[in-house]
Amino acid sequence: MLNQIGNYSLYIALLSSIIIIIQSPILLNRNNINISGRIFSLISIQSLMIIISFFALIIGFIISDFSNETVYNNSHTSKPFFYKISGTWGNHEGSLLLWLLVLSIFLLIFTITSKNLSNKYRILTLFFQEIIILGFLLFILFTSNPFMSLFPIPNEGSGLNPILQDPALAIHPPILYLGYVGTSIIFSSSLAALISGSVNKSWAKHIKNWVLVSWIFLSIGILLGSIWAYYELGWGGFWFWDPVENVSLMPWFCLTALFHTILILEKREMFHSWAVILSITTFSLSMSGTFLVRSGILNSIHTFANDPSRGVFILCFLFILITLSIFIYFFYQNKIKNNFTKTHIVSKETAVLVNNLFMMFFLSVVLIGTVYPIFLEVVNNDKISVGPPFYHKLIVPFLIPFLIFMAIGPNLNWIKDKTNKINLQQLLFFILSIIISFIFLKRVGISYLFSLPLFIASFFLFFITIKDFSVKKTNLSQKISHFGFSLFILSVLVNGVLAKEYSSNMKVGDERKFLNKTIKFESLKVNESKNYQSLEANFKISDKNNSINLKPEVRVYDQPQTITSEADIKSTLYSDNFLVFNILKNDGFYNVRYQIKPFMIWIWISIILISFGGILSIVKKNG
Amino acid sequence: MKIKILVLTIFYFIGSFNLSYAANSEKVDQISKNLRCLICQGQSVYDSQSDFALSMKILIQNKIDEGKNDEQIYDFLKSKYGEWIVYDPEINKNTVLLWVLPLILFVFGGILILRKVSIK
Repeated sequence: MLNQIGNYSLYIALLSSIIIIIQSPILLNRNNINISGRIFSLISIQSLMIIISFFALIIGFIISDFSNETVYNNSHTSKPFFYKISGTWGNHEGSLLLWLLVLSIFLLIFTITSKNLSNKYRILTLFFQEIIILGFLLFILFTSNPFMSLFPIPNEGSGLNPILQDPALAIHPPILYLGYVGTSIIFSSSLAALISGSVNKSWAKHIKNWVLVSWIFLSIGILLGSIWAYYELGWGGFWFWDPVENVSLMPWFCLTALFHTILILEKREMFHSWAVILSITTFSLSMSGTFLVRSGILNSIHTFANDPSRGVFILCFLFILITLSIFIYFFYQNKIKNNFTKTHIVSKETAVLVNNLFMMFFLSVVLIGTVYPIFLEVVNNDKISVGPPFYHKLIVPFLIPFLIFMAIGPNLNWIKDKTNKINLQQLLFFILSIIISFIFLKRVGISYLFSLPLFIASFFLFFITIKDFSVKKTNLSQKISHFGFSLFILSVLVNGVLAKEYSSNMKVGDERKFLNKTIKFESLKVNESKNYQSLEANFKISDKNNSINLKPEVRVYDQPQTITSEADIKSTLYSDNFLVFNILKNDGFYNVRYQIKPFMIWIWISIILISFGGILSIVKKNG
Repeated sequence: MKIKILVLTIFYFIGSFNLSYAANSEKVDQISKNLRCLICQGQSVYDSQSDFALSMKILIQNKIDEGKNDEQIYDFLKSKYGEWIVYDPEINKNTVLLWVLPLILFVFGGILILRKVSIK
């Protein structure tokens, strides 16, 4: 029953999509009317139908309707209620339905909020967005239908991958998708603006909100993923340069560059073409992300779905969209206003160009590092791995000038800044940064002296962004985001340099010394939970003054049978105590890994600050 | 002259930053972090508790005890398991584009910007 509802509503949505795509060109020629009620109701019907089908799937998961193949493959009656719901998008079919849902709802929001813009621009945006929706509908209905019926109806499902049964990861995909899919509106509207010749100030003003919204969701989505990796994967790291992580970082770089460019476009009517190119690139990267993750091409712990035929579909679709946009770009490029004047080398405009240069560089490192191994394997069958050392070697040296530019750039004036004025304040902060970095590294150990320039640059940015709060010239949201970024870099660096780790094989009762601390394996007990058994250890970490207890677990899930290690983490403002243990083959011994991670919590806080700056910017403008 | 200094500086930076790797003094850890666990999905040997990873760590320890240096150990592993095992691909004819392409793009972008700004 639910399967039929889901299927039929998707087909109705498909029909509306086709009707809209056919009707849009006709409506284009009638310039005098506003988007007709007919188109608007079609979009509403479409959204409604997709919402219904999505709810049909959620209900299927909640009531464990195993006549549905997706539910059967990814759920189990014994699963907690919350994870039954999150199981809806914890799989390939459901997550695509979620993509589609966000696509259509965003289009509806766009239609409602763009009433004061030109008719041609709105209809064209609708048109392109509907092409994307159509593509996804076809993809879902013909390669990944979440409403396939099973007969005879099985009694029990096969369960959800236990490492996905986690609160952060339950909401991670929807948030990330909001970011990804938000870029589709940017894509459609930039093409529409290009064709209708309205790539200008008012377009920038209108699309800025969408850029911000996508950027905020993407940032928070990446944050949630990192937090999850930190405590669930049990390695104590939060970023592994894993292909699937990279895939979410690429549109982030692009969106960040786009946002800064859009600001210039809005204020100074410059960089029109570049803004359009970035808009197209951002969405292409989001789509490629979906393609890379969903096709199973990547060798990654995150790849849960493996089906090459789906990959081929997305690849073709992506190819069509990119080719289409390139054609449109070159065909209508001459419509873009070309009142280009050279900007002065010391000006805010140039600073934004430099920001874009670095963003594009970081993007290219990540992009090339992620796809190069795939191409190499296809071309001459050589398998290479591109891991953290590659990214660090290429990104870190460029981070130093980037941080310094980021400190200076926002304080420059528009058009032309006074070049002959030496900024005493900045010089002072720079000297201060040198001193502090030097003392800090000296205390940590001389071997890190090579990192000196990096620390100087980060401290410099940190001080300047704090100082900027006292300057009235720039807006508060920017200050918060930039400060958040400087805090982020600094926390990551300090965390990287000061982190301490101890690893050993222990049995119950053992005691080990580490630095000035004692690690004692006090006890071990077995717990029964609804859908797993757990082995809970109790470790006591004590030094002269105080002691804490850490209780990591090893969980044995029954449906499907999987063993996971749950780290126990005690966070304070100064540092995290992180402990995880694993079962070893020789009896009675456990592999114990204890880590002290300074300023870990500031990494999360700083990312929240970065995103908060964006939120503030939206609220302020509309409030 | 200027170019020479620039190139030297860049090499100095590229050669000297291995931040998160330097943090751990244990040599086995340091090496195993740079190795892919071949039977796992996207985990390093260091992070994995699989049989493969455990025996790998013992192997590395043995090699260190034999007095082999990092280079020799990596070479040994590469000849045994292929280039695939190291996370840090060396520069050869297969990987030269991987390393150089981003740098070329950066220079290219830089030139584009320089053409769009005026100095006076």
